[in-house]
Amino acid sequence: MTCVELQESLAGIDEGGTAEQQAHLKSCPECSALVKELLLIASSATELRESDEPSPRVWNSIEIALRREGLIHPPHADQSLLRNLDRPWSAKGWFWGRWLVPATAVLLLALSIRILHEKQMRQVESNSVPTTSSAIVSDSVIAGLNDDDLLQEIASQSPATQAQYAENLRHANQYIQDAKSIADANPYDEEARRTLFEAYQQKAMLFELAMDRSLP
Amino acid sequence: MYGCAQRRDSGNLMNWRTMKSLGIGALIVTTAMAGTLVAENHKEYRFNVGPKAGLSVNNPYGSISVKPSTGNTVLINAILHSDKVEVDNNQAGNRVEVQSHLLPGADPETGRVDYEIFAPADASITLHSSTGTLRAEKLHGDVTLEGAGATVDVHDISNAHVHVKTLNGAVTLSNVQEGHVEVDSLSGVVTLDHVTGPLVQVISTSGAINYAGDFGDGGEYRLTSHSGDIEAIVPDNTSADVSASSVKGEVRDDIPLQPKTHSWFDVQAGRTFMGTMGRAAVSSTVVLRSFSGKIHLRKRTAK
Repeated sequence: MTCVELQESLAGIDEGGTAEQQAHLKSCPECSALVKELLLIASSATELRESDEPSPRVWNSIEIALRREGLIHPPHADQSLLRNLDRPWSAKGWFWGRWLVPATAVLLLALSIRILHEKQMRQVESNSVPTTSSAIVSDSVIAGLNDDDLLQEIASQSPATQAQYAENLRHANQYIQDAKSIADANPYDEEARRTLFEAYQQKAMLFELAMDRSLP
Repeated sequence: MYGCAQRRDSGNLMNWRTMKSLGIGALIVTTAMAGTLVAENHKEYRFNVGPKAGLSVNNPYGSISVKPSTGNTVLINAILHSDKVEVDNNQAGNRVEVQSHLLPGADPETGRVDYEIFAPADASITLHSSTGTLRAEKLHGDVTLEGAGATVDVHDISNAHVHVKTLNGAVTLSNVQEGHVEVDSLSGVVTLDHVTGPLVQVISTSGAINYAGDFGDGGEYRLTSHSGDIEAIVPDNTSADVSASSVKGEVRDDIPLQPKTHSWFDVQAGRTFMGTMGRAAVSSTVVLRSFSGKIHLRKRTAK
C-alpha cells in the first residue's frame, strides 16, 4: 500500500484499519504521525461536542486573555470560534455554539486532508496512476458533516430559510463538483487548484454563517 | 333649490363623514405611535478611545451604520424594538464591544436593534448582523462586515482592509481607494464602483459581479463567480492586463486588447480572452473567471 492509497482509505482508519493499512503505518513514520494527529483531532472534536459547556464567563475570560496577549487581534476577534459560545441568553444559540466548534474543526480537517492529499498526489504523480474525482477520498465522510444535518437543523430552528439554504447548498456543491472536474483535467493548472480551494471556501462560509445565526 | 339644499346636505354629510374618518384615523395613528413609542427604546452609549481603536458590534437582527466621529469618541445610538432584547456593551482597553442580547421569546421583529454609530475614522470596525443592513462610510480603518442575509453598503473608504462575507445579501462598495478588498458572497449581487487597491477580490457562487472603474495602478483584481455573470465597465484611460475565461458561458470583450505574446492558458474564441489595455508599465492584473456565467468587458460610455 502506498501513502496515497492509505490516505484514500483514511475514513475507516479509526476502527483499527485493515492489515494492509497497519502494515503501511508500521513502515511509514510520516503516515503514522499523520494518522495519530488526525485521530487526536477527531477524538478531541467528539469530546468537545459531548462535553458540558463551561460558563460563558470562562470563554469570555479566555478571549480577553488571548486578546491581551496579542494572540487574537481586534479586527478579527469577532470571527473567532469563541464568539458563538458567549451567548447565554439563547438556548438555540447554545446549540449552535456547541455544534460550531466540532463542526468547524472537522470541516477544516477535511480541507487540510484534501490539500495534503493533493500535494502528495503531485509528488508521486510521476510513478503512480493518474487519479479521478471518484478516487478522491470523500470529504463528507471524513468531516462527519453532511448537508442533510445542516438542513435538518435549519428546518428545526428557522424553517422559513430552509429552502434558501438548500438552494445555496446545491449551488455550492455544484461549484465544488465543477472545480474538481477542472482540477482533475488540469492537474498542473494553478488557477484550477485555486478555483477548487475557493469553491471549498464558499461552502465553508455557508456552514459558518448558517451556524452563526443566533436564533432566539 | 332642492337640488342646492340636497347638495348642501350631502356636502354636510360628506364633511361630517370626512371629519369622522379623519378623527378615527388620527386616533388610530396616535394609538399606533404611542404603541411604537412605548415599544421602541432608545439608548445612547459613549466611550472614549485612543487612536486606532477597535469596535465590534454583533446584532442578530437589525441594521448597523458606522460613520466617522469627531475626536476619539465612540458614540452609539441604539433603537431597541421591544423589551425582548437588550444591549450589552463592554470596553476593554482600546476596544469596544457591543452585543444585542436576545431574551427568551425574541424573534426577528422583537429582537431587532438598529444602531447608528459614530467612531473615529481610524478605528477598526467589525459588524455582524444576520438580517439587517450593514453600512460603513468615510473611514480609513479596517472594516469587516458579515451576515447571512445582510445587505452591505460600504463607501468612501481609503487605505484599509475591507472584508465582506454574506450569503444572500447584496453587496455594494463604492469609492474605496487603496483598499485590500475581499468579498465572499454566495448568491448576492456584488457591485464595485470605483474600488481600487493592491488587492480587490470577489468570490461568488451564483451571484453576479459588477465592476465599474479603472482598476487602479498595479493592483491585482480577481472577480470569480461560478454561475453568476461578471461585467466590468472601464473608462478610456484604464491600464490593465486582462484575462477572462468562462468554461461554459459566453465571454465578450468590446475593448481592443493588445494580445500577449505568451499566454498561460489556451485562448478560445468566445470562451476566453487575454490582453493588455492602456499602458503596460502601470497595468493592474485583472482576472475574470466564471464556470457558466457570462463575462463582459466593456468601455464606459459618456453620459
